[in-house]
Amino acid sequence: MTRDTRTSTETAPEQRTDAGRYLPADAIPETAPSRETEWRTRLTEAVPTLPRLLKYVLAIGVALLWIVPFLGLFMASVRPLSEILQGWWNVERMTFTLENYRQAWSYSTAPMGRALLNTFVVTVPSVLVVLLLGAMAAYPFARFEFPLKTALFFLILLVMAAPPELVAMGNYNTLRNIGLFDSYMGLVLVHVGWGLGWVVLFLRNYLLGIPEELEEAARIDGASRYQIFRTIILPLSAPALVSVAVIQFTWVWNAFFFPLVFMRSPDLYLAPQVLPLMRGRLQVQWGLVAAGSVMTLAVPVILFMLLERYYKRGMVAAVTD
Amino acid sequence: MSLRDHIGDYRPAPEEARGIDREKAVVLAMFLVPGLTLFAIFSVGPIAYSAVGSVFSWEGFTIGQFTGLDNWIRTFRDPLFINWTNITEMQFPMGALAQNLLWVVIHVPVSTLLGLGLALLFADLTGRRILRSMVFLGFTVPTIVIGLVLLFVYDPQAGVFNAVLRAVGAEGLVRNWTQAPQLAIFALIAGGIWVQTGFSMLLYSSALSAIDPSLIESAKVDGAGPYRRFRDIIWPLVRPVTAVVVIMGIIWVMRVFDIVYAAGGSAGGPGHVYSVLGIEVYRAAFEAPIDYGKAMVVALVQLLIVAPLALYIARMN
Repeated sequence: MTRDTRTSTETAPEQRTDAGRYLPADAIPETAPSRETEWRTRLTEAVPTLPRLLKYVLAIGVALLWIVPFLGLFMASVRPLSEILQGWWNVERMTFTLENYRQAWSYSTAPMGRALLNTFVVTVPSVLVVLLLGAMAAYPFARFEFPLKTALFFLILLVMAAPPELVAMGNYNTLRNIGLFDSYMGLVLVHVGWGLGWVVLFLRNYLLGIPEELEEAARIDGASRYQIFRTIILPLSAPALVSVAVIQFTWVWNAFFFPLVFMRSPDLYLAPQVLPLMRGRLQVQWGLVAAGSVMTLAVPVILFMLLERYYKRGMVAAVTD
Repeated sequence: MSLRDHIGDYRPAPEEARGIDREKAVVLAMFLVPGLTLFAIFSVGPIAYSAVGSVFSWEGFTIGQFTGLDNWIRTFRDPLFINWTNITEMQFPMGALAQNLLWVVIHVPVSTLLGLGLALLFADLTGRRILRSMVFLGFTVPTIVIGLVLLFVYDPQAGVFNAVLRAVGAEGLVRNWTQAPQLAIFALIAGGIWVQTGFSMLLYSSALSAIDPSLIESAKVDGAGPYRRFRDIIWPLVRPVTAVVVIMGIIWVMRVFDIVYAAGGSAGGPGHVYSVLGIEVYRAAFEAPIDYGKAMVVALVQLLIVAPLALYIARMN
């Protein structure tokens, strides 16, 4: 299905959407047509009709409604608790303060500064290793026939459907036995093992769309399989690799269950793990929770905004195959 | 298309082909073994471990005697897993399985329809990329943050939801929604829908943008109204995506954990009123008293519910 979507979005515009509406090259006039309409008519044309205007109002209203909770989170993170309890939407007499961020950064149980660093230390290798091993394993899946291929496929699908809770018990005992429980390394291994399934499947689908002729030509020129992989396959699959990197980064960074189970010392806590602890006992420390949350979500959200195209395309391709 | 098919053209000698076969095997191993080893140890292994472990007795983290379906029967009789009395009285807690399925029944159709609606609404507007990103934003945020945001939104004092209720004169409805035993689960499901609508909107948007605009133009010219255009042109083309959206929604909901944990801790709310299967696994496996047998059974139930759906997606292609 991935291949279908790709062909329909990439090759279709020239073939179909044109539908003969454009002039052939020799029929294009020498000069551009002059503006026949006055500015007044042009202005009325540019202003949307009433139903369309209503549609805009509705669409913008819905989109704003969707981010109101995040707006509240941000407002709470920069205001003192007394004002938050009056309602973050009351903006008269607003005090702007970074005190919440300062407190969250050096939060006594598990300082956010340290937790964010831990999250980086776990996330970056989890992404890089998955990329490398995933691309390597995807290559034979896309190009060769080998025994047990179908069975492996089946296993990958099964793992993709499985809830993370299902592997927690086994991994808990494995990590205890090999002495990697409650360590960066242990959590990275769990994330890599868990992510490999979808990455292999995703990259394999992408590789199927790369024509094999290129490799055959290189093969005749005497390139080894390893050289072909490094000089042809990897560069050609760069867009897919970026998609995988962004999505895997977001998932590992946002993961809460695995750290909760496998990281037990407070100085190894990951950022998402610290947030629920910040609630406090009687009165919820909204400012603290909000500041910590904003710091945690900033990384994946900024990444999403920078690489939105890859993220969305990858997301669509990952689930529609 | 095996490797030999390509090589056969220019190196037909059989003894050489055998040599290449060995080379192919080495290459295969080099590429496959590192990834598959980790995959086997940390994903497939633990699943098999749970499947086997579910029919054994457990002493803490140590496996004991073979006990057949003991764990399974025990779990299905556990009111925390499924509480028949409360289900017939329509009262929470109904047990994690029933609550999780209730979540599926409400969350999946609503988020799917909302996603389709928003995709259609945004489809031809200027600035649609920004509008879509605003709705999708929640899906990129850590789910634990989503849970805490819900806690904040539904707070009786500082929460914007209760403020809206006060503003429209529904003072009587103001309450701490995430801790109200009979209502909290619906408040959380609404939060889940809020997040996942962005995801289904994204899939529908990409399906809609693949539709040839001239098709819709010509239908307009032929005098088809918006409803006819949707029913006869758009819907048949986005229907395959709906299967994916629904199945991904079910998979997402069946493993929901963070939102519930943020709102109600590892108990899943006061008196377990909105506990889900993931929460039960966590509590059984990692909080005293440890009950590995039950944890494995519950986790397997989670898998058994979604596995046929994943295979259905696989078979579609």
